[in-house]
Amino acid sequence: MDNFELICPAGTPAALRAAVDAGADAVYLGFRDETNARNFPGLNFTRQDVADSVDYAHARRVEVYVAINTYPQAGNLGPWQKAVDDAARLKVDAVIMADPGLLAYAAKRHPDLRLHLSVQASAANVEAIRLYRDAFGVRRVVLPRVLTVPEIAKLNAEIDIETEVFVFGGLCPMAEGRCSLSSYATGLSPNKQGVCSPASHVRYEQRGGALASTLGGFTINVFGEGEQAGYPTLCKGRFVAGDGPAYLFEEPTSLNAMDLLPELKAAGVRALKIEGRQRGKAYIAAVVRAYREALETFAAGRPVPHIDLQAMVEGGTQTTGAYTRAWR
Amino acid sequence: MRDPDVAPNAVADERARRFETGLSRAGLGLVPKLGRRAGDALLARLLRLLADRHPRAFAALREMADARVLIEPVDAPVALLMRVGPQLSLHAVPRGAGGVGDAGAADAVVRGPYARLLDLLEGRIDGDALFFRRELAISGDTALILALRNTLDGEEEMDLVADAASIAGPLARVLPVLRRNAGPVLDRIEAARRLLPPPLRRGIERVEARIAGTLPDTLPDKRA
Repeated sequence: MDNFELICPAGTPAALRAAVDAGADAVYLGFRDETNARNFPGLNFTRQDVADSVDYAHARRVEVYVAINTYPQAGNLGPWQKAVDDAARLKVDAVIMADPGLLAYAAKRHPDLRLHLSVQASAANVEAIRLYRDAFGVRRVVLPRVLTVPEIAKLNAEIDIETEVFVFGGLCPMAEGRCSLSSYATGLSPNKQGVCSPASHVRYEQRGGALASTLGGFTINVFGEGEQAGYPTLCKGRFVAGDGPAYLFEEPTSLNAMDLLPELKAAGVRALKIEGRQRGKAYIAAVVRAYREALETFAAGRPVPHIDLQAMVEGGTQTTGAYTRAWR
Repeated sequence: MRDPDVAPNAVADERARRFETGLSRAGLGLVPKLGRRAGDALLARLLRLLADRHPRAFAALREMADARVLIEPVDAPVALLMRVGPQLSLHAVPRGAGGVGDAGAADAVVRGPYARLLDLLEGRIDGDALFFRRELAISGDTALILALRNTLDGEEEMDLVADAASIAGPLARVLPVLRRNAGPVLDRIEAARRLLPPPLRRGIERVEARIAGTLPDTLPDKRA
């Protein structure tokens, strides 16, 4: 039985080396600009960093993918096309993209460059995925985090390209690539500038024993004393509606689908993705090591072990998300 | 099955880490006692040494816009005010002396237990995880803190305790020996401590806390 491929995040060269050393099959990263969806201060890779990282990874038989997964701004295609050209020049193993125009550019200019469809494209049905395959030669699709495992199985039965699914980390519950919640509050877009809840617009303040988080001047959560905190994203904001404050979209929680490896394998999934390019190298080392151990155990036909990753998760809670969501 | 050799080593390593954390916190507590000029000179020397050993990170810190971050351990008498940008510098300031927006104070503050802050600066622990667990509090310019965190986390094998020891003369030569032997030795001290009568044990704990800078030099009079 072929094992899953383990696709791991890196926000810095040190994090990439941590991921490689901990057992990644591939590491995904972004350039240091708005061409990727984790465009945060102090994060990401210069061109030279990518060159060095590709050398380090390839020497250890690990692949490197570059996420160029934001949407080019009208009249300003340059940075995105240059990112594609540089990724090809630097001999990365695949680029992860969402914009059809950019996919067309890459397919035409670099026919040997392997194309993956980013979760930012939100391609969640057979027709959409076939279109990307037929039009641009996309070889793998990263599925949005809104599908159940039976839906993934049904999808895989009808398409002939690989699927990759998120198994751990921050959980985006919206239609990715089309969410404008953060844009409304900050004027900056996750889809164009690569910044969901940009740090420049986030403030934390202590209110007695409570911790308040604000985004663009809007209070989006107040964590009581001792209550675990979450990211300052509007989709996980706690708002007053009706009887009192409540999580209207999603609670602060992290995805962890380690218990679903047998089901995901049966559903025909090829690759498992860990979220968290914005996280530190200690997170990456711990989570990648845990998943590598789980995958090796699973491949050997033994029950998937329970590995404690509680210390790493947002809001202090873990979920299998839409994969097993009963209400769906 | 768990390797029986691993657990005791891990415990000894953790104990050794606690020891060197306590040692470095005590060292930090001594900086203001040197006087402002000598204290600043010592920290400037530490910063130069760190810049030599971690040129990539320190070049990035110098490229940042001019700003000040207060790194405030809640269990030490002293905080560190780091100025990033072209005028990169480090100063020891009394803890609680100022917060965001105060005159001459910081654009952002990171606050937490000393051991956690040290782990964070050395990249041993994930800052987001600490924040989720409320072990780390931040205020002020979030982007500044994020940039600082990501820059330092992008550096490999940062060993601030060893780096600090190397500007403290003989400690540089002693530290490796201490690290090798601290775990077992502290195990024995801990075992002996458990045999002491409680009043004596509490007295020793108070002395230790005072050395570490977590208690005032003079204990408050309980009758007051």
